[in-house]
Amino acid sequence: MSHRPRLKPLARPKVVTVRTDDHGEPLFVRLPGKTARRVAVVRERWRIDDEWWRQTISREYRTVVLDDGAVLTLYHDLLDDSWHVQRG
Amino acid sequence: MAKPVSSAQGVPTHQGRGWAQNRTSADWLASTSNDIEWATRQEARASTSSSSRRSTGSSRQSRQALCLWLPTFELRLELVRSPELDSTSVALLSPGESTRRTVWQVSERAHASGVRPGQLVSQAVSLCTSLTLLEPDPAHYDAAVDTMLEVLTEITPVVEPAGRGRVFLGMDGLERLFGSPHRQIRRALRSLFRVFPSPLVAATRAGMAPGKFGAWVAAASARSGSPVVVPPERLRDFFARCPVGALPVDPLVISRLERLGIQTLGELRRFPEPSLVAQFGEDGKNALAWATARRIDPVRPQYRPRPIRVSLEFPTPVGMVGTLHGALDRLVERALARPARRGRSVTGVRMGAHLEGGGSWFVETVLREPTSDRERIASPLRSKMEISPPPKAVETLIVELTDFGAASTQTGLFDRTIESGRATSSLDFDQGEVPVTLRDAVKELKLRLGHSPLYRVVEVDPWSRIPERRHALLSFDP
Repeated sequence: MSHRPRLKPLARPKVVTVRTDDHGEPLFVRLPGKTARRVAVVRERWRIDDEWWRQTISREYRTVVLDDGAVLTLYHDLLDDSWHVQRG
Repeated sequence: MAKPVSSAQGVPTHQGRGWAQNRTSADWLASTSNDIEWATRQEARASTSSSSRRSTGSSRQSRQALCLWLPTFELRLELVRSPELDSTSVALLSPGESTRRTVWQVSERAHASGVRPGQLVSQAVSLCTSLTLLEPDPAHYDAAVDTMLEVLTEITPVVEPAGRGRVFLGMDGLERLFGSPHRQIRRALRSLFRVFPSPLVAATRAGMAPGKFGAWVAAASARSGSPVVVPPERLRDFFARCPVGALPVDPLVISRLERLGIQTLGELRRFPEPSLVAQFGEDGKNALAWATARRIDPVRPQYRPRPIRVSLEFPTPVGMVGTLHGALDRLVERALARPARRGRSVTGVRMGAHLEGGGSWFVETVLREPTSDRERIASPLRSKMEISPPPKAVETLIVELTDFGAASTQTGLFDRTIESGRATSSLDFDQGEVPVTLRDAVKELKLRLGHSPLYRVVEVDPWSRIPERRHALLSFDP
């Protein structure tokens, strides 16, 4: 009998709803099952373009502070224009 | 220089639609003699063989042998998997090489364009620009061989594999069960239909004769669908026109025989044994014994212990050596913890992988001494991986414990850690030691929930820029 356990990746991204301004900067973030919160400040931003040889990854990350003090790492998937929240 | 073999007798050509024909005896030997151990295997050798197979003694040997041979077995399996390639020029790359890739097996169209086994890929592509190159998939081929052997053991318990695509069956006493030799062959081939598609079975060549050498020559001279049966009284005459290339001896001996103008076994028989021994040593003596049908090698059944197989599927293909080493350690731990392994030490181990974009990769090692220590098992595999790394990123890593020895060394008598969880001062999972208390707790949870709800965090690619690639959860199931 063969055992084929599959590794479960940690820090998998979750889709979130984000309202942006005219420049594409996040204004409001609504996490699944919660009310929308206003983005107080964008602390940091960076971009990842990788794995072009396999399945291209193109993400624009932001660390944001919400108006209730919560700190989130969000990224904007530049390929399908979706927003995600991610730990790690 | 090897000459084309006569088509009248001993026709060692690859028959059948889409396959290379009219090959030389040297080609034939090269394509099949990668394993001549079947002819030279002895009891004592078999018991210490690096292979996971062992002879089980002389009581079940069979003098009457049936050889089933499927030339270019691996390439045919690939074409069964991708039938659209059947009418194109295809070459299978040789396994286990990462820098200078060479061609291993070629289809008839590729052969007609001048592509030959052993050529560098660059040479082959320059000769045939439309050549399709296929990565070898040893895991797939071995699985096919295992299935074939399993089916054939229903015909006779005396089954001796001799490399992929060639198997000897001991047929002593089966005439009362299945009838004449031709009926026995038909029965064996019919059983293959259960596991292989009809083109593959149709291309199988079958030969029956006393001894493995006779059966092998008969199979090699047979055409697809027309098995050759050689009765004992005709064996000597049958060998007369057989090319010397059929002898399972060192290829250098064959080449020297051919340069001396000795092309057939009939010609070889004219020489006295002392002169052949003087020229070729033990090989010369054996060659004469085979040529004169004095030597009959019985088929020996081979005990194949069921390997303990564990595998790990990565969420995304992994190319980092460090990650693969970590996964290897976890897999060896899991394999050692399997109940089937308990009470036995490990002497042979195999590591393989399914690769990104198809294909597979394997390395195998025989341990210097039986052990059940994770590090002693993993270390030689890591060394092998350094020498021959996977050519592409790995999707699934596999570890197989293939050969087993007696229970562990005597130091185990004084090791009390197994008896008491309290004796284990820390949870040192790295060495594969899991406290009994924790093991029992997991067992209880599994009984209650149906699965182990405990996980271990493992590093997958800790320096990856993509957060979900860095760490993962692995089910903790000691």
